[in-house]
Amino acid sequence: MINQNINVALIGNPNVGKTSVFNQLTGLNQQVGNYPGITVEKKIGFCKLPNNVKANILDLPGTYSLNASSIDENVVIELLLNKNDKLYPDVALVVTDVENLKRNLLLFTQIKDLEIPTILVINMADRMEHKGISLDIPYLEEHLKTKIALVSSRKGFGIDALKKLIVTYKTISSEPCLNASVIDPDYFDSLRKAFPGQLLYKLWLVITQDVNFLNLERKEIHSSFTKSHSDLKRLQQKETIKRYQFINDTLKVGLKVDATVAKDFRSKLDRVLTHKVWGYVIFFAILFIIFQSIFEWSKIPMDFIDSSFASLSSWANENLPSGVLTNLISQGIIPGIGGILIFIPQIAFLFLFISILEESGYMSRVVFLMDKIMRKFGLSGKSVVPLISGTACAIPAIMATRNIENWKERLITILVTPFTTCSARLPVYAIIIALVIPDQYVLGIFNLQGLTLMLLYLLGFGMAIFSAYVLNKVMKIKGKTFFVVEMPNYKLPMFKNVAINVVEKTKAFVFGAGKIILAISIILWFLASYGPGKNFKNADQIIQSKAENKALPALELENKIASYKLENSYIGIMGKAIEPAISPLGYDWKIGIAIISSFAAREVFVGTLATIYSVGGTDNEDTIKNKMAAEINPETGNKIFNFASGVSLLLFYAFALQCASTLAITKKETNSWKWPVGQLIFMSGFAYLLALLAYQILK
Amino acid sequence: MVQEIIAFVILAVAVGFLIKKYFFKKKKTDKSCGTDDCGCH
Repeated sequence: MINQNINVALIGNPNVGKTSVFNQLTGLNQQVGNYPGITVEKKIGFCKLPNNVKANILDLPGTYSLNASSIDENVVIELLLNKNDKLYPDVALVVTDVENLKRNLLLFTQIKDLEIPTILVINMADRMEHKGISLDIPYLEEHLKTKIALVSSRKGFGIDALKKLIVTYKTISSEPCLNASVIDPDYFDSLRKAFPGQLLYKLWLVITQDVNFLNLERKEIHSSFTKSHSDLKRLQQKETIKRYQFINDTLKVGLKVDATVAKDFRSKLDRVLTHKVWGYVIFFAILFIIFQSIFEWSKIPMDFIDSSFASLSSWANENLPSGVLTNLISQGIIPGIGGILIFIPQIAFLFLFISILEESGYMSRVVFLMDKIMRKFGLSGKSVVPLISGTACAIPAIMATRNIENWKERLITILVTPFTTCSARLPVYAIIIALVIPDQYVLGIFNLQGLTLMLLYLLGFGMAIFSAYVLNKVMKIKGKTFFVVEMPNYKLPMFKNVAINVVEKTKAFVFGAGKIILAISIILWFLASYGPGKNFKNADQIIQSKAENKALPALELENKIASYKLENSYIGIMGKAIEPAISPLGYDWKIGIAIISSFAAREVFVGTLATIYSVGGTDNEDTIKNKMAAEINPETGNKIFNFASGVSLLLFYAFALQCASTLAITKKETNSWKWPVGQLIFMSGFAYLLALLAYQILK
Repeated sequence: MVQEIIAFVILAVAVGFLIKKYFFKKKKTDKSCGTDDCGCH
């Protein structure tokens, strides 16, 4: 970070379009990370402003007020109170929604009272005419003691004016909106006398908020000015009332709404989308379309990537000088990279749809809709967010449970979230479904493969709900909770936001999972290409002596040698050792190795098989899919990936806790090994039993 | 011979990467940006 850059903090309630403003200001100049020690996402972008001023734009987590009730909100307060923080803002942009100005201004007045130069950004201004809203900007600027930028982050207007305004931040008044003394004059007077150099509202936040303050003697303040919890709550309520009185007085003149102009499209749509019957029908129809599309649209690019890497692999094998490195490249590295890139289309489509649902405002309706069901199973309405975000990855989903106040509901949500189908399962499902489920249409329109994928997602979600119900009955922890959800306005998704989200998520897969898949592919190549003992070293002589009496074609002899070598390689010996445990499920030792290695990350499964089949393969088959389809069980003569073993594998991956990081995060969040170990034993044991049953019934 | 040396160096890098990833998780001591990888990969 460059010192001469100014720091601009973007602050606002959730769903006011803060991230859209951030994207408009920064474009793709963004870095995404976490705040130290916690897992709240931290986004910083860079922006060139007029007069050659450069700005670091910090997109802070959405918060309703400075009375923090979650870790996200703590982050905002800690930054705004710590002048020593290198990201401490020179200017704060409080982003508001023109349709929810009254509620959004509460946070604005609080930030203003910290005497930070603050610009009021009124977003979604393009909807003003449609909603019959008019604003008296000069009046509002005068009474709120600020500068106002009217913007539409969706349409991109007002952004240049906002940039110009940011540059003039030094001229913006830092006078507070509310004199903190009005909350309790006697108490605040004594505070002022005791800490003459400190800002009164800041002291008040130190007393009332449970956050880390670096430059204030918290103990000293608390020992002298402690009040009972109920007294503090009463004063906080008084503060909120005073602020709303101020906001009401200001908006009475500054904001006019002509109700005759406003069209009530939103409430009509809400009535349908959250309807007790139609709401669910629409939700499942949308899910259905999504999974059909993921399969249909991904087919062509996936086949292209698969065949391109197969050609590259054989080209490398034929054209590079023969030797160990060439083998590593053609049998380990190229299939490994191919095993990563092949899933980009499906992952991109999945996140494209999720982003569109979030951006349009529909996701909040789903949360509201599902809350009614969740309650019956001992979960909170807030559990829906982790369960839905679990379709991306269980790790952030488990972290997202932190805003569930009730410990029992939170614990249950943590324990059942890994059942939801994360994106890491998608590659495994995709390849197995393509192998064992016919590419046929039911009733002429429903693709069977897409239906199977949807069924697996519903199965994961259903299992999470069922487990929650059981856990709720079994656990003897009591507590009450309530559910509040923000219902943003409906809007057409912004292409830029959707695109950035898709690119970010796909990048995270390629560069996160991809590195591990590649490293494991390289190690697997070594383990499959080398082996201990005489059997491996003398494979050529052993097979040739066995085949002496038979006139085998050269290619078949070569295949037999490769297969014998693989069986006696390090990986072959390991696989054979675990084969007795997995053969009742319909798996051979090669699949066993893939299951073990995929405990690091589920996606590794396909890459592992690609590497193993490349080393011991016949070279008659080129693509990963074809190689898997051609695998024959030498004992039965049947295909390894048949309907029974395929369904068994799908069920195993649907329920097994094949993710080391999920265990680690559950331990971290529950502060005990008891829960993750229980989670592992239950999920994997259940998966094993179900996979066993499925294979034994279907074979 | 050269091919073998390079291949084994690549193998060592892969093993080292996985050991570092799973056994020596880096601790963040400052407020600098990390990656957006959720850690499950």
